[in-house]
Amino acid sequence: MSVWRHLRHGARVLVHRADADRELSDELEHYVEQAAMAHEKRGLSREAALKAARAEVGSHSAVREQVRSGGWEETLRSLGADVRYAMRMLGKARLFTAVAILIIALGSGAVTTIYSAMNALVLRPLPGTHDADRLVNIERRDRTMAEGMQSSTDYLEWMRPRVRTLSSIAAWSKVTFAMSTGGEGIGVYGNIVSGNYFSTLDVRPALGRFFLPEEDATPMGGPVLVVSHAFWQSKLGGDSSVVGRVVRVNGAPYTLIGVAPPEFHGAFTPLLVEAWVPLSMHSQLRPSRNREHAVWLWTFGRMQDGATVAGVKEELESLTAAYIAEGREPQPRNKYGTLRLTGMTGLPADAREMAVAFIGLLLGAAFLVLLIGSVNVASMLSARGIARQRELAVRAALGAGRGRLVRQLLTEIVTLFLLGAIGGILITTQATRAIERIAVPAEVPMALEVSPDIRVFVFALGLSLVTGLVFGLAPALRAVDGDLVSRLRDGSSGSGTRRSRIGKALIAGQLALSLVLLVAAGLFLRAMSNGTSVDKGFEPTGVQTTNFNTEAWGFDSTRGRAFYTSLLERVRALPGVTEAGLSDRLPLTFATSSDEIFLTAPSSPDERGPRIDLSLAGPGYLDAIGMRLVAGRGIGEGDIAGAPRVAVVNETMAKRHWPDGAVGRTFLLRGETVTIVGILRDAKYGSLTEEVPAFAYFPVAQQWQPNLFLAVRGPASVAEGIREAVAAFDPLLPRPTVISMVEANRIVLLPQRLAATVTAVLGGVGLLLATVGLYGMIAQSVGRRTRELGLRVALGAQRGDVLRLVVGEGMRLAGVGVVVGLVLAMVATRLLASMLFGVSPLDGLTFVGMTVVLTSVAMVASYLPARRVSRADPMLALRTD
Amino acid sequence: MKDPYPAAMDETNTDVIQGTLDLLILKTLSLGPLHGFGVSRRIEQISRGVFKVNPGSLLVAFQRLEREGHLDAEWRQTENGRRAKYYTLTRAGRRQLEVETEGWTRRAGAVARLLRAEA
Repeated sequence: MSVWRHLRHGARVLVHRADADRELSDELEHYVEQAAMAHEKRGLSREAALKAARAEVGSHSAVREQVRSGGWEETLRSLGADVRYAMRMLGKARLFTAVAILIIALGSGAVTTIYSAMNALVLRPLPGTHDADRLVNIERRDRTMAEGMQSSTDYLEWMRPRVRTLSSIAAWSKVTFAMSTGGEGIGVYGNIVSGNYFSTLDVRPALGRFFLPEEDATPMGGPVLVVSHAFWQSKLGGDSSVVGRVVRVNGAPYTLIGVAPPEFHGAFTPLLVEAWVPLSMHSQLRPSRNREHAVWLWTFGRMQDGATVAGVKEELESLTAAYIAEGREPQPRNKYGTLRLTGMTGLPADAREMAVAFIGLLLGAAFLVLLIGSVNVASMLSARGIARQRELAVRAALGAGRGRLVRQLLTEIVTLFLLGAIGGILITTQATRAIERIAVPAEVPMALEVSPDIRVFVFALGLSLVTGLVFGLAPALRAVDGDLVSRLRDGSSGSGTRRSRIGKALIAGQLALSLVLLVAAGLFLRAMSNGTSVDKGFEPTGVQTTNFNTEAWGFDSTRGRAFYTSLLERVRALPGVTEAGLSDRLPLTFATSSDEIFLTAPSSPDERGPRIDLSLAGPGYLDAIGMRLVAGRGIGEGDIAGAPRVAVVNETMAKRHWPDGAVGRTFLLRGETVTIVGILRDAKYGSLTEEVPAFAYFPVAQQWQPNLFLAVRGPASVAEGIREAVAAFDPLLPRPTVISMVEANRIVLLPQRLAATVTAVLGGVGLLLATVGLYGMIAQSVGRRTRELGLRVALGAQRGDVLRLVVGEGMRLAGVGVVVGLVLAMVATRLLASMLFGVSPLDGLTFVGMTVVLTSVAMVASYLPARRVSRADPMLALRTD
Repeated sequence: MKDPYPAAMDETNTDVIQGTLDLLILKTLSLGPLHGFGVSRRIEQISRGVFKVNPGSLLVAFQRLEREGHLDAEWRQTENGRRAKYYTLTRAGRRQLEVETEGWTRRAGAVARLLRAEA
């Protein structure tokens, strides 16, 4: 109530300021009148009484100020006046303002861009959903949390009616299929989802509707599909009449019922899902997934009102224990009894941890640039503070308090930083667009979506406000330090030596920080070149690859095998092709699979065997990608279903388990005896940074897989031949995209490429800012020392001596910067070790090279002002004051 | 006519103790509505010139007390036909006066006891 009164009164004063002032004047006038009357009564003359009364009351304007400053509205008004004044002062010093804003914009833009990526990938809720803070991603893990398992349909259906803390549990999995609206088939990357998928996420359709419960109630009960907004625009021409139309999905009729909103493209945002179909259709679209037992679903739920994540975890874990106790799951799965619940922000939990660590590193680098830039601006402000002593002294003499002056200066500085932040936001919108254009080499449609939202803008402004206050307070305080008014008389600028010592320390610090950034950039560049030249154990150059999924075309295993046989036959006959073969995954594409083996039959079902990484290979595949045999034979035409099971293992696996010769030995995999027929040289399989795992190839023909990669050793021109080979089998099949193996492998270098690009840009900007700082400082010092230097020349010093003197000053600073920078870099680069592919984090070449770069640039920055002074006429220099 | 505001005899006047100005104004106004100069003069008079209130502080305090709802202000004719802004204590102001009086008595008593103990 009282607050309301305050507000009402204040607002009235604010609006009717003249009235309020007049009222106050009247009141004061009356006060003077009364006081004068009192004096008259004591015998003073009318004039003397009035004079005495006026003296008692003091100046009306002073009283008015006092009364005004008692109300909140005046703080607001003076802030407005301060901002206007600040804008006028900044407008007067155009060059200063432009440079300062540019520097702040660069630093703030760097931090904001990286923060925007962090926000998009990790922080913000899944785009397109509502009340996303009630959504939880559900994962089953083993007790150590190291390994996880997806869920089976049986588990999902068993949990659904029992769970109380979640209002719904939904599930999804990947599915690819060919869709046709009449003509040639279009390959579609889709998701097969539970009927409550959209309602659980609370996504609302842009057009039409989403799935009804009955469409996911009975097997094959819902031949309907929803498409993404992007797919609808690009492949269906954005035609709203397609909603309700019947299209062919792997030949079967489906009704297109709706279009998702533009911002929504699935639960994992980097994957661009193009269409969604109900889980009930899985026996047509993913027949190899046995409905009850296959674990193939990702699950998530929406929490009941009042439920907590801890409560949900507790309930799901006790339900899972009950589920396992009922014996509904085959043996090895019962170890996945721990649940990991995470928010739905568009990345799976493991990827999220990696993203946070990676982006965190880059964010650190960006903060260094902001720091360097802010230091620059702070020293520019200090220099300007000296230049403005006169103005400040005059204002102080006219009665402005020290606090009032500091407030004015801070307002000016914060205004500057906020203008810089706006520049930073402009840089961010451009930079994030550039990042989004980076093509991700992958077989599914992917995008790095890092565009800023309102949260990012608020962050940028807040960041600038804080940086402005932190870096502006010291210059502002120093500007009003000491006796301002006496400075008005003698024109001196106070504690000069202390200021220049701080200035020098800041410059050295900036150089040190830019060296850290440069070293990081250098290490990433070295890692990249190392990554491309490192011995991968196979030969990706000259290999063309493509990927097929016959199940996605609705083929059964017989027709699938027939397709692959005919494909290989035709491709091997193409001119230029030396080898061709099939595999279920390509090396160095981040795609790995592992399983456990037993050297002798396990004595109890709880016994655990060693784990190996594995892959499937057909005849010709290992030769095509250039994996070399060191003993025995490769996978042959005779290794087919029904023949004895065989494997080709790598040297690491052979040495680990059979040091005295592995060929001819056997092991057990999923209960079957496998004979080792050959040993391959060790290679890189999952990523370039991995430790070589025990690895085995098993024949494709002994384990049917509809989703296979074709690897062909031959020139890029075979691509057309491969596409024709597909059409020759069935002209309605979608034509595959053929890429080179080198290109396919590029994805494993993506983090390094991003890190190298970002740190190189940041390092360059940092170096530029630090150099500008150094240049400014030397130029200023030369300006101050003109008389001294002129005197030296007049007394016989050579130009070279003056040059040495001035450049020496700069190089001493650079020297300090280099030493500090090298120490900081040695500590900091340890954080990067895991991303460097064997390049040492203390790589001598990088450290020396970057030190040379920094020193040379510093040399140029101090030589330029030195040259100017050494060329000047000594007599002129002596006369300047 | 008798001078309603005889000048203070004591020349050694003191600034009002920090934080007591509100109390003095409220107390003064509890005797009846007054304008600014009246309040100032009465505080000087009753304190025998120990407290001298400067008009700036007084008007700031009036503004604050009015906004807190302890005072009402109104322009009225004075007895000699001029317009003046009169301040009146509100009911909330009267309660506030009791609270502040109580607080002041307690503190003054405590200070007095301390001084006695020290002697």
